[in-house]
Amino acid sequence: MTIPVPAPVLMRRRPGYRLVARIAPSRAAALLVPCAAIVLTLLGGAVLFALLGQAPLAAFHAFFVEPLTTRYGIGEVLLKTGPLLLIAQGLAIGFRAQVWNIGAEGQLLLGAIAAGAVALLLADVEAFWLLPLMMLAGTVAGAAWAGIAAWLRVRFQASEIIVTFMLSSVALQLLYYLVSGPLRDPMGMSFPQSALLHDAALFAPLLEGTRVNTSLLLAFGATAIAWLFMQKSLSGYRLQVGGLAPAAARYAGFAERRAVWIGLLAGGAAAGLAGVGEVAGPLGLLQRSISPGYGFAAIIVAFLGGLNPLGIVPAAFVMALIYVGGDMAMVSAGLSNAMTTLLQGLLLVSYLACSLFSGHRLVRTA
Amino acid sequence: MFKNPLLAPLAGALLGTAALGGAAPAAAADPITIGYVYPSPAGDVGWARELDNGRQAVEEALGDRVTSVVVENVPEGPDAARVMNQLATQGADLIMLGSFGYMNDGIKLARRYPDIDFIHASGYQLADNFANFQTRNYESAYAAGQAAGFVTESDDIGMVAAYAIPEIVGLINAFTLGARSVNPDATSRVVWLNSWFNPSKAQESARSLISQGSDVIFSIYQDTPSVVTVAEEEGVYVVNTSSDMKAYAPEHLLASMQIDWSDYFVAKVQSVIDDTFEGDAFYGGMADGAVSVESLSEDLSDEQRATVEATIAAIADASVHPFTGPIVDQSGETRVAEGETLDDAAIMSMDWLVDGVQTRLPN
Amino acid sequence: MTESLAFLLAGTLAAATPLLFAAMGEVVVEKSGVLNLGIEGMMATGAVTGFVIVAQGGAPGTALAAGALAGALLSCVFGALVLVFLAHQVAAGLAVGILGLGASVQIGKAFEGRTIAPIPRIDLGPLSELPVIGRALFGQTPMVYAALVSVLLVWWFLNRSRAGLVVRAVGESPSAADAIGYPVAWIRFAAICFGGAMAGLGGASLTLAYTPLWADGLIAGRGWIVVALVVFGAWRPGRILLGAWLFGAVSLLELTLQGIGLAIPSQLLSALPYLVTIAVLAIISRDPRRLRLDQPVSLGRTHVPRA
Repeated sequence: MTIPVPAPVLMRRRPGYRLVARIAPSRAAALLVPCAAIVLTLLGGAVLFALLGQAPLAAFHAFFVEPLTTRYGIGEVLLKTGPLLLIAQGLAIGFRAQVWNIGAEGQLLLGAIAAGAVALLLADVEAFWLLPLMMLAGTVAGAAWAGIAAWLRVRFQASEIIVTFMLSSVALQLLYYLVSGPLRDPMGMSFPQSALLHDAALFAPLLEGTRVNTSLLLAFGATAIAWLFMQKSLSGYRLQVGGLAPAAARYAGFAERRAVWIGLLAGGAAAGLAGVGEVAGPLGLLQRSISPGYGFAAIIVAFLGGLNPLGIVPAAFVMALIYVGGDMAMVSAGLSNAMTTLLQGLLLVSYLACSLFSGHRLVRTA
Repeated sequence: MFKNPLLAPLAGALLGTAALGGAAPAAAADPITIGYVYPSPAGDVGWARELDNGRQAVEEALGDRVTSVVVENVPEGPDAARVMNQLATQGADLIMLGSFGYMNDGIKLARRYPDIDFIHASGYQLADNFANFQTRNYESAYAAGQAAGFVTESDDIGMVAAYAIPEIVGLINAFTLGARSVNPDATSRVVWLNSWFNPSKAQESARSLISQGSDVIFSIYQDTPSVVTVAEEEGVYVVNTSSDMKAYAPEHLLASMQIDWSDYFVAKVQSVIDDTFEGDAFYGGMADGAVSVESLSEDLSDEQRATVEATIAAIADASVHPFTGPIVDQSGETRVAEGETLDDAAIMSMDWLVDGVQTRLPN
Repeated sequence: MTESLAFLLAGTLAAATPLLFAAMGEVVVEKSGVLNLGIEGMMATGAVTGFVIVAQGGAPGTALAAGALAGALLSCVFGALVLVFLAHQVAAGLAVGILGLGASVQIGKAFEGRTIAPIPRIDLGPLSELPVIGRALFGQTPMVYAALVSVLLVWWFLNRSRAGLVVRAVGESPSAADAIGYPVAWIRFAAICFGGAMAGLGGASLTLAYTPLWADGLIAGRGWIVVALVVFGAWRPGRILLGAWLFGAVSLLELTLQGIGLAIPSQLLSALPYLVTIAVLAIISRDPRRLRLDQPVSLGRTHVPRA
């Protein structure tokens, strides 16, 4: 059967506007787009609050202002920013190369398990090298978990979207198994959690009166590394000049295989390290629920930041603020936990819509 | 509500102060604020429903001497700390933590705010201002198990459980022991869902067990009538926990193991009002009215019903203890000698299954 | 033994049904060159919409249609992002998915934990009573049969109809189709709407027939399984059907194996469906030429229409 060809269609000329691609992304747009997205989200949020019978301004206050008015609140926002920022930096490296790591959640769990296991096995060690050892173990474990997907992609062309996601579910079952048996606290009344990690295995507190600890520095370190990589390496430079090149954005000069490995290992390592930060941070032990969805939320952060190391920083902060604000608003404004998800969805949708204008502009036609 | 944007925060501040009013000592007229944290939505039935029923009992008993703030569906993990902290800073006098997973953050918060009292469901941490409460669900499980032992024809009892935590292990054991006390050939098998909430999987598990020959299903801590409705549909008997689910299985509900926190919550709230709060461990059973067997099926013969009711009465007045020896575990080892009973600590940390349970523990 | 087999057969067909509806929608979308990762959110909105309607006294037919409509509406947002705003398909899919999940939880707030009467199973008397296969083949809800019919219809559409050929052409080379004069964006938009409607229908069949209650998290990752199934099945409806059955069967087998009382950790059994999926995916994808034959060339790439 031949492909049917429609009758010739006249090129319709419509007066008004049309989209023209820009030669290079507009600098002004880099700032305006996120601002416009935030404004749109706030507007959309206002409509939602009103529909739910909440006073929009009071709800906004509870969500966005209140967390930043107390030391504890700021601390909580920073506490959440850390892992989001760290993981998003790792993921963005892969996303820029069109390597889609959807399983950061599982890689985080592997990192947490590895670090926790090291700490529990070496429970008598008080030396300074324990924590770095845990960080190494966690980073390697997370990277290895992602590496499975890389290997399957390189060797079998298996889609990494599917493999990384499936491995997340497997990682969760592994965690359940370990905290129910091999790593369970023998003094813990048979509950499925490990013993508490001793002090030498925990990150030091960073801000008095908050839960913020030194693992936050890891996130900034990762940002610096990612930025250097973008700025200084040849491939990073090419990406920057060419803008966010879609489709064919492989690291020019690298084989596709190397891009897959680097992309997935970077994401896995970052997620694994974030897992260490959770276990050796606010949790202080291994239990069934370790991550409140950081792996998945970091994907949103990476996109919100325009896949740019510097842009990801404020994106992580905004997402963390929405999370923390949402938790607090559940109590102070009686809002449901769905509001957090809705606002995050709105933010990303608005951002993506507004991003059109960083690569295109409206031109008036005759 | 407020046209002037400046008024809203001001109003908020005023409301906050009013809520804080309860924290001021001595003034008997000021209502105390109670924060309730549930791990799941307080639907029509289930664990959170019974917690919420407790809250309603408090409000009925104490009226305008209490103000309630309810937060539902708070996931366990570090995020819960934020919600708890918010309740604390908004002036709660008492915080009810409705799940084991809130324990670690709860006890940390209790240390930071010694003036706020906490009651926490299950768990094992205690402090001057941190009490915990658990049910002796194993008592009603034993009685319901007897009913199951009577009605089963295949001698095969299927159980749907989330995780092998000690409390659930205790229920499995008590139920099996109860069944075998009236029917020595009865056996049970367990499907572990590995998830606190997955109603689809719970239903599939029930169907799987039925297809493998179970003719009585024990639905352990399923917060929805998912398993109960499947049992009704397939025509097998079912026992469930927490709430009375007769409405969902009018023909085939064998019994519901009801939980009732009303008396405990009211007593604890009263102690906060009277400033006599104690950080104790409440292990509530039939004798305290915290646990009961409801909707015992009409299909039991008079004799069978009398046996079960006699057991219930005996447990309530402590003349019978479900975990009385000799009890042998799956591997043949005698865990409880003849004439002895397990103490509370052993029951609360149970990690072995009795002989008669075909399934191994997950580790 | 035969009862277990009967349970597995009947259960697999029933469990595969929501997956099939959504997968049939997604295969058409992907054949047109668009990757939609927001299926989970679309299934959720369809599920809650259908549930709410029945919970308030509406007819199941209306509820199913409403669920499909809800999914389609959400997919319009996705379509707009991808086709009008030229957003990256992966990001747009995730964004819309999250939006859908949040919206579904909010809409369903007042109905959390409620149950409704499910769509009843058909009863063909003695046929339904046949051992082993009776329930599986003749005792299912109408949704199961409808899903199988949809597989046939989508297969026919893609492979035997003129319109389907156009869709595939758009997916293979949008610029060529554009040059010929086809409205690539409109065709993709129509495909996306269809995909959203089918995802919504899949979600609605979940709450109306399979697990007749509503709560946050009911979809439980099925949207991602659907994405996997489409790749699994190499974008062919028939293979996707087999993949859905395989996944459903392994998931149920886990429960049967647990019931038997083997000394295998239950967590390993719970991980089994995912491990099997990965293994089969690797086996299926390993021939790069075969993959290239079936995978739409332009899948995932943003097509910029000619000015």
